[in-house]
Amino acid sequence: MVAFSLPANSRIKQGKTYPAPAGAKRVRTFRIYRWNPDDGANPRMDTYEIDLDTCGPMVLDALIKIKNDVDSTLTFRRSCREGICGSCSMNIDGGNTLACLKPIEDITGAVRITPLPHMAVVKDLVPDLTQAFAQYRAIEPWLKADTPPPPDGERLQSRKERAQIDGLWECILCFCCTAGCPSYWWNGERYLGPAVLLQAYRWIAESRDEATGERLDALNDPFKLYRCHTIMNCTDTCPKGLNPAKAIGAIKQLIIDRQV
Amino acid sequence: MTKQSNSPQFDILRSQLKRVRGLGSSHSGSQAWWAERLTSIALVPLTLWFIASVIGLEGATRADMVAWLHAPVPLVLILCLIVTTFWHMELGLRVVIDDYVHNNAIRIAMLLFQRGLCIIAGLFCVIAVLRLGLWEGGS
Amino acid sequence: MKHDRDGLMVACRSDGKLVRRPLSPHLQVYRWPVSMVLSISHRITGVALSVGALLMTWWLVAAAASESAFATVQEFLGSSFGVLLLMGWAAALLLHVFQGIRHLAWDAGWGFGTLAPQDPVGSGTAKRIYGVTGWGVVGITAAATLIVWIAGLAAWE
Repeated sequence: MVAFSLPANSRIKQGKTYPAPAGAKRVRTFRIYRWNPDDGANPRMDTYEIDLDTCGPMVLDALIKIKNDVDSTLTFRRSCREGICGSCSMNIDGGNTLACLKPIEDITGAVRITPLPHMAVVKDLVPDLTQAFAQYRAIEPWLKADTPPPPDGERLQSRKERAQIDGLWECILCFCCTAGCPSYWWNGERYLGPAVLLQAYRWIAESRDEATGERLDALNDPFKLYRCHTIMNCTDTCPKGLNPAKAIGAIKQLIIDRQV
Repeated sequence: MTKQSNSPQFDILRSQLKRVRGLGSSHSGSQAWWAERLTSIALVPLTLWFIASVIGLEGATRADMVAWLHAPVPLVLILCLIVTTFWHMELGLRVVIDDYVHNNAIRIAMLLFQRGLCIIAGLFCVIAVLRLGLWEGGS
Repeated sequence: MKHDRDGLMVACRSDGKLVRRPLSPHLQVYRWPVSMVLSISHRITGVALSVGALLMTWWLVAAAASESAFATVQEFLGSSFGVLLLMGWAAALLLHVFQGIRHLAWDAGWGFGTLAPQDPVGSGTAKRIYGVTGWGVVGITAAATLIVWIAGLAAWE
């Protein structure tokens, strides 16, 4: 039976509080999930009070400020700070998004930050994405064509054909959608999840790819594809505005198209 | 890795790629999905008709039921409703059990039980309706 | 093949000793968009309706069996508890049917919004059509349930 509650070692305790410096005017409270493998303790929520007048507008700015000025042990992934690398994906105020694109002003009350849901935690806000990336590798995300490319140039593609992968190539593999899918929570080791299925469709919709049938064969499985019950959390949460649910719907339609 | 009682250990050392590839695609899954959609489409009008019929049959006697099912349209529609409902129900419960029950032995036992229940209950309904509509039997 | 759910849960800590990683919170923290509420309600009503189908079986078999058997089931369904049960069944059925139609529309390709990226973005703030259809299902179900309840209670004597 699936466990809807957290296992004993994952239950979150109350942690430390770091108050704002005296004289701070625009103070916001940040409650952040902390866990250290070296501690031997359960995860906890630490509370940090930040003066927004000395902090950038995004949640990532607050996290960096905390790490620089308050608690250097706070651990999180980050890189580009502009929503293109996909590193800082986490659960902020109940929704999965990129910390660098989430304005603090958008949130009312205390800002609650936890790692991507239902994932093994490496440390603090860092989840283990190895399984997710292995699932990406498993769908063979590269061009498969028996026809050799033209000797004098590149494989041709019309504007209309190129438009068919719009909304698919922009995915930055942040896994916000996958970690927001309840089906992936309960069956993550067998269900591929929305991010990987979106990329699978990216290669199915690719006009230059010639292995469409094989790709559809590989997905036609009660667990790999059909654990999707159109719950719609994926599209709802995508920080890049993409639509994995629609892509998955398109895959299902293609599979039916060829058997009906 | 050293094994100590009550402490974590690695029992399975295969790669993540092997783990997620599993036993490969079963190439099935679309049939059940399609059947669920087809039964859904049929059930929309059938169910709305059934709700209206049930309201009309409030406080009915057995004679009212016999009269209702003696007409060919209600008899045929209710037979369609019964078969489609139990078929749709079996497909839906199958998905729910597959989602939440991870122990393979228990899961297969539950799947067999629910399928048996749907078939048997369905047959009971079909026979009851045929009895009322075609063979006006009983006391 | 054993489907090990533990694949990423065991790791080494700094001194080399193995440690069991925690699972990050999910239902405990995740927000509830309308589509997620409707989705789990669709499932809950589906399971409830499966039990209801067994009630329907009792109704039909009792009708076929004998006058007394049918009188028993009609008396039960005519009791206050029975009427409450029927009202709940009607509500569950209507929600399941209307959300089911929304599902069928998705399966036909309609009601997802565009594939091209929605602008401006921001989790949960992008206004896509499925939010509208979601609240539409809630509204239509409420209205239809009220109609069926009024009709049913009017016929109840």
